[in-house]
Amino acid sequence: MIEVKHIQKKFGRKTVLKDISFHAKEGHITCLIGINGSGKTTILKSIMNLMSVNRGEILIDGHQFTEAMYEKVAYVPDVLTMPLHMKIKDVFQFMRDFYKSWNDQRADELLTFFKLDKNERLKNLSKGNLAKANMLFGLALDVDYILLDEPFSGIDMFSREQIANVFTTDLVEGRGVILTTHEIHDIEYLIDEVVLLNNGFVVNQFNVEQMREEQGKSIVDVMREVLV
Amino acid sequence: MDLKFDNRTPVYLQLIDYFKQVITSEEMALGEELPSRRELASRLKINPNTVQRAFKEMEETGLIVTERNLPSKVTSDKQIIKQLREELINDAVDELIETVQSVNVPLEDLLQLVKQKYQ
Repeated sequence: MIEVKHIQKKFGRKTVLKDISFHAKEGHITCLIGINGSGKTTILKSIMNLMSVNRGEILIDGHQFTEAMYEKVAYVPDVLTMPLHMKIKDVFQFMRDFYKSWNDQRADELLTFFKLDKNERLKNLSKGNLAKANMLFGLALDVDYILLDEPFSGIDMFSREQIANVFTTDLVEGRGVILTTHEIHDIEYLIDEVVLLNNGFVVNQFNVEQMREEQGKSIVDVMREVLV
Repeated sequence: MDLKFDNRTPVYLQLIDYFKQVITSEEMALGEELPSRRELASRLKINPNTVQRAFKEMEETGLIVTERNLPSKVTSDKQIIKQLREELINDAVDELIETVQSVNVPLEDLLQLVKQKYQ
């Protein structure tokens, strides 16, 4: 389980995260929802220790972040960070050199799933395929947790659908996923938990099926209550 | 398999209702194999945990049977299917009665209309 406990983060005088607490379980898909600027990316970077927090702590399976966690948790930023002249297979080599947890077999399965060609250069990929490649590099790591920043933003609906479908396969199943989005339409029936962010606070965390069962509300119903 | 979900009702319950419907209508035969959990999740684009939950409930009520390492199957117990049919009919009639009672339709008129439309 990833536990985020009362974290606070300031940029200069601006407090982006005021008091954020939530948890994400293994085998569950947890979705951070908030409007732009609500600090979703800052939270993911804090979990990965790419950014320090001013207050609070983050525990991964009960432990504080150490270097070894990079083999346990993967972070897929919203924009691919690899040099664009590289071919997909070059990135595979790069990842293999950097991560013990890189799984070649899974990488090949993902290539087939996303219908990508490993001899293609990144700069020649369409935006949708670039997003899929970006996700592939993260999912091919044998990690327990995967953090995905806005995996659906700015790409066409068929690519979105294909990316959403990967969550129903064994390529993801059993691992803990935290993803951020401001648009839940594509993934409404895929996610287990929702964490709603507003103004630097978590305004609600709930299990989606339980919310439907106990209160007869959809995710958007709850969002409307607390965000509008 | 055409299944449209309502986003305000638990998806696992909608899935169970779907199976109840196809089993009682004999679209699925007694003892027929169900698709695997993952295949269903993938086909319906829903969370595998949700499918797992629906299967678990259906196993508990005896609607489906899962033996170790084998695909789940529709029960072969005719008694369970019979009971399910009765339940389904009862629920439908209850719902009908509730609706027509709220607009004060006399029983005779209702029966007549049902007879007329049933063909």
